[in-house]
Amino acid sequence: MLVMNNLSKIYRTQMIETHALRGFDISVRAGEFVAVTGPSGSGKTTFLNIAGLLEEFSGGEYLLDGVNVHGMNDDQRSRLRNEKIGFIFQGFNLIPDLNVFDNVDVPLRYRGFAAAERRQRIEQALGQVGLASRQQHYPAELSGGQQQRVAIARALAGSPRILLADEPTGNLDSQMARSVLELLEEINSSGTTIVMVTHDPELAARAQRNVHIVDGQVTDVLHEPVLRGGEQIGASIQPNL
Amino acid sequence: MFRYYLNLGFRSLRRNPVLTILMVITLSVGVAASMSTYTVLHMMSGDPIPHKSDRLFVPQLDTGGMVGYTAGEEPDDQLSYPDTQRLLASGQGIRRTAIYGINDAITPERADMAPLLANGGATTADFFAMFEVPFRYGNPWHADDDARKADVIVLSRATSEKLFGDVDPTGKDLTMGETSYRIVGVLGDWQPLPRYYRIINGNGGAFAGSDEFFIPFSTAVRHEKRNSGNNNCNGDGPEPGYAGWIASDCTWIQFWFEGASVGEQASIKAWLDDYASEQHRLGWLKRPVNTRLRNTMQWLEHLEVVGRDSRIQVWLAFGFLLVCLVNTVGLLLAKFSARAGEVGVRRALGATRSAIFQQYLIEASVIGLVGAALGLALSFAGLWLIGQQSGAMAAVAKMDWAMLLATLLLSLCASVLAGFLPTWRACQVRPALQLKAQ
Amino acid sequence: MEIRPIVSALLRNKTGALLIAAQIALTLAIVSNAAYIIRDRVAVSSRPSGIDDESRIFRIAVDSIDKPGDAIALQKQEEQRLAALPGVESLANANQIPLGQSGWNMVLFLDKSQTSSSSSMAFYFTPGPLVKTLGLKVIEGRDFTAADVDIINVRENEHRLGHVAIVSQALAKKLFPDGQSAVGKHVFVGNGADAPEYEIVGVVERLQSPWAQHGEAGELSLITAIRPIQSYVNYVVRTEPGQVERVMRDAEAALTGAGSGRLLIEKNTLPDIRQQRYRTDHAMVWMLVTVTVLLLLVTASGIVGMATLWVNQRRKQIGVRRALGARRADILRYFVTENALISSFGIAAGTLLALALNQLLVSQFELPRLPLPHLLVGMAVLWALGIGAVYGPARRAASVAPATATRSA
Repeated sequence: MLVMNNLSKIYRTQMIETHALRGFDISVRAGEFVAVTGPSGSGKTTFLNIAGLLEEFSGGEYLLDGVNVHGMNDDQRSRLRNEKIGFIFQGFNLIPDLNVFDNVDVPLRYRGFAAAERRQRIEQALGQVGLASRQQHYPAELSGGQQQRVAIARALAGSPRILLADEPTGNLDSQMARSVLELLEEINSSGTTIVMVTHDPELAARAQRNVHIVDGQVTDVLHEPVLRGGEQIGASIQPNL
Repeated sequence: MFRYYLNLGFRSLRRNPVLTILMVITLSVGVAASMSTYTVLHMMSGDPIPHKSDRLFVPQLDTGGMVGYTAGEEPDDQLSYPDTQRLLASGQGIRRTAIYGINDAITPERADMAPLLANGGATTADFFAMFEVPFRYGNPWHADDDARKADVIVLSRATSEKLFGDVDPTGKDLTMGETSYRIVGVLGDWQPLPRYYRIINGNGGAFAGSDEFFIPFSTAVRHEKRNSGNNNCNGDGPEPGYAGWIASDCTWIQFWFEGASVGEQASIKAWLDDYASEQHRLGWLKRPVNTRLRNTMQWLEHLEVVGRDSRIQVWLAFGFLLVCLVNTVGLLLAKFSARAGEVGVRRALGATRSAIFQQYLIEASVIGLVGAALGLALSFAGLWLIGQQSGAMAAVAKMDWAMLLATLLLSLCASVLAGFLPTWRACQVRPALQLKAQ
Repeated sequence: MEIRPIVSALLRNKTGALLIAAQIALTLAIVSNAAYIIRDRVAVSSRPSGIDDESRIFRIAVDSIDKPGDAIALQKQEEQRLAALPGVESLANANQIPLGQSGWNMVLFLDKSQTSSSSSMAFYFTPGPLVKTLGLKVIEGRDFTAADVDIINVRENEHRLGHVAIVSQALAKKLFPDGQSAVGKHVFVGNGADAPEYEIVGVVERLQSPWAQHGEAGELSLITAIRPIQSYVNYVVRTEPGQVERVMRDAEAALTGAGSGRLLIEKNTLPDIRQQRYRTDHAMVWMLVTVTVLLLLVTASGIVGMATLWVNQRRKQIGVRRALGARRADILRYFVTENALISSFGIAAGTLLALALNQLLVSQFELPRLPLPHLLVGMAVLWALGIGAVYGPARRAASVAPATATRSA
C-alpha cells in the first residue's frame, strides 16, 4: 500500500541544511494498522506530510497504492490525496463556520461527486462514527471527542485506501480517546489501512506494528506484522497489549 | 489611563504601517473632499450682513403687459423707473435705496495713463448707511446731493489707488465720460460675498467683480446713463429716446427697503400690495396684483446664488466620505478581530468591558488624529483646485477659522464613528475562549 | 461550484462581508449617477454653435470715451482698418455672438392679433457679412445684401428694427411646423401697433443664442440687417488658420491706439468664450471624474484589504482543504466565488440605491433620469473591480502550502 525506499527530505535555509528524513524505508501492507513513534523532532510529522503528499521529498522513492509519485505536479498530488488518503489531525481541524454535514462534504466536493452521492456518503460516514443525528450542529457545539469523530467521518466519506492520523487522541481526555481508538480499530478491521503517528506508547501498543523514527531514520521495528489476512513477513514477537 | 491608551494606540499603528497608512489616507481624502466642497457652499450661502439681513427687503412688482401673462409666475426681479421713483418717495421703512449699473470711461489725471473702463453703480445717499459701507477717506454724499443731481463720485479703494496712489483724493475732480465729478469719498475694504446689494449685474455676477465707483442715481439719469446690467421690456418696448426709456415699464433697477425691525416685512408688504392695486387701477400696472417682498437671504435664495452644481457636489463628496468610513470600519474590524487574543488576556488580567471599549475607541480615534493634519492639507488643496475654476470660485474657495476647526473635528469624529462597531465587537470577546484556543 | 457552503459560512461572518457589500453598493450608486451627469454635461458643452471652425474667430468690442461726431463714418473706417490687417479673412459688426452670454432676446408673433407669442429668440443684428464671417450654412433663401441694411439709432428707436430677417432652422421649424418654407413669410417682433415687421429672406442650418440654453431654447435665433448708430461696436472677425491671437492683438492696437479716442471694452477668441460659457459644466465633470476614480480606488483597496486579512486568518483552513484534496485552482475559485457572491449582493443593493439616489437628484436638483445602460455599465465595472481586487489575495491563498494543516499551531 505505502512504500518508501531510501527516502530523504532536506530542508535548506540560507546557510543551514536540515536532514529531516534520511535513508528512510517503510513498507505498509494493505489492511495494516501501523503506529509511527518517535521523540519530538524526530521527523514523524515530516514523514506524515510526505506520506500524505503534503510535502515533496528530496531523494528516494515513494509508491502509494502502487503508484510512483515521482514527477507529479501539485494538481496530480491533490487528486491522489483526495482519492486515496483520509487525514485525521490532532487538532481536529474542522472548519468552524461550516456545520457537521458541510464539513464532511468538503473533500467530496473536490472529488466532483453529484449531490445525491455526496449526501449518501456523508450520511453513511456519519452513521459509521455515530453522529448521524448531529448533521446541523457546528463544531463549537460539539465536545472534543465528537469533533474528532466528525473529522474521522470526513476522512472516511471518500472511501480512502489509507487513513493517516496525526496524534488523533492528543487533545482528548482518556475516555474520549478510548472511544476514538476503538473506532479506528473498527475501521481497520473492515479493511482500511491506517498509519498513525503518535508519541504515546500506550496508543502505539494498540497498533499491529510500530515503526520507530529517530533523527529521521527508522530504528526499530517493535512488532512484526501479525497475520490478519496478509502475508507473514519475518519473525514475530509477542505484541505487548 | 487616557495617556496609556493613547500610547497603546500609537504603538499599534506602527505595528502595521501599511494598514495604518491605508486607513489614514482613505479617511483623509474623504474628509478633504467633503470639507472643501462644504466650505465653498458655506462661503457661498453665508449671510453677507448677519445683524441686518432680516431687516433689508427687496420689493418685486409684476410689470408687463397681459400678452404672455400666465397666472402664478414670479414677478420681475427689478423695478421700472416710475415705480422706483414712487417707492423712493413712499417713506416706507427707515431707509430706501435704488441702484443700477453703469459703465464709463475714466480719464486719469496723469497723462501717461490710458483711459480706464470702469464698472460702477448709480444709487442714492441712503445706500451707504443701509449697507454699512466703510469709508477710508471722506464721506458719502448727502440727500440734497441726490436732490441737486450733483456731479459727485465715491471711489472704491482699489480704483482710487489705481488712479491716485495711496493718497486722499477727496476734493479732487475726476473726469468720467464727458463729465467732471468731485470725489467726495473713498471706500475702505468692502468686498461682500456675494455682492448681495446688486446681484443682477453685468460684471461678474454674485461672486466676482466689484463696483469701482458710485454716483448719485439722479445724476446718472441726468447724464442719460444706460443700465449695464439686465433690461427687461415687455410688449412694444419703450418710446424712443432716453426720456421714453425712463418713462417705460421696462425693468432695470434694483431696490431695497430697510425696516426698523423684522416685523416691518409684513407691513411693508401690505403697503406694496396696496400700491400695486392702486397702480393697477390707474392702468400703469396692467397685470393683476402679484408682488413679493423678500429679505436678504430669501432674495439670495430666489436668485439661486448658491449654484445647483455646488450643492450637488457637496452631496457627492459626503457620499464619498461615507464610503471611506465604511471602508475604515471594515479595516478596523479586521484589525481588531486579529487582536482577540490580546483582548482575552487583558480581560483575564482584570480589564472591564468598558476599559477595553475605551482602549480600542481611543486607538481608532488615533487614526483621526494622525489623519487630521493630512485631511486639512488635502482640504486646502481641494479648495485651491475648486478655485481654479473661475474668479468667482476663487473668491469663495477660502477656508475660514470655523471651517478649519470643522475639518479637524470631522476627521476625529469620522475615525471615532468608524471605530464604534469594531470596538464594540472587541468587547464581546470571551476571555475563556481566547485563552483556551491555541 | 460550492456556493451553498460558501454562503453558509458567509452568513456566520456577516459583518465583514456586509461592509464590503455596502461599499460596493454605495460606490455603484454614486458612480452610475456621476457617469450619466458627466455624459450629459459633456454633451451639452460640445453642442455646435453653428459657427464653422470656431478656432479662427475672435471678437473685439470698443466704445468712445467721448461721443464721436459721425458714428457711422467711424464704424466704416474701423471696418476698413480691420479688413486691411494681415490674416483677416472676413469681419462683421454684430451686436452679439453665440455663447457670449449677453445680448438681446425678443418675442416673435406670426400675427399681431395673437395674445401670446409664437416664440422667443435671440435677436442678432448686423450691417455686414455676419453669416459669411461666422461661416453659417444657408440652407434656404439668401444672405442679406447691402440694400437690406437699415441705418437705425437702435437705442432711441426700438420700433423700427430692420425689415428683413434670417432665422435659424430650429426657429423656422417651430414657427412653421407643417414643413412649409419660412422664406417669404412675415413675422412681427412684439404685437403692438408699431411692432416691427420682418420678411424672412433666408434660413441658416444652425445658430445658437448667446446663452446657449439647454434644449430648444438655445437654438432659436433671428438675424436682421441694421447698422446701429452708436459709438459702441462689437466686431466679429474670422482669421486665417492659426492667426487668431496675433490678429486679435493687432486689431486692438489698430482700434484703440493713442489718439483714437476709443477704449477697449473686451476682446476674446471664440474658444475662450466657449470655455467661459461651459466653465461650470467642465468643473463639474472634473469633480465627478475625480470622485469616481477615488471611489473605485477606495472600494478596490477595501476589497483587497479585507480579502488579504481573511486569507491570513484562514491559513490553517486553507491548508486543511488542500490536505483534503483541494487543488490550487480550487482554493482560488473558492475565494473568487466568495467575493463574487458578496459583490453580487452589493451590486443588487447598489442598483436599488442608484435608482433611489437618482430619484433624489431628479426631485431636488432637476437632473434628468438615469438611463439603464449607465446602470448596467456601472454594474459591470464594479463586478470587474471586485474580481480584479480579490485576485491577488486569492492567488496568495492558493499558494498556501498543504503542510500548513499539520505544521502550524
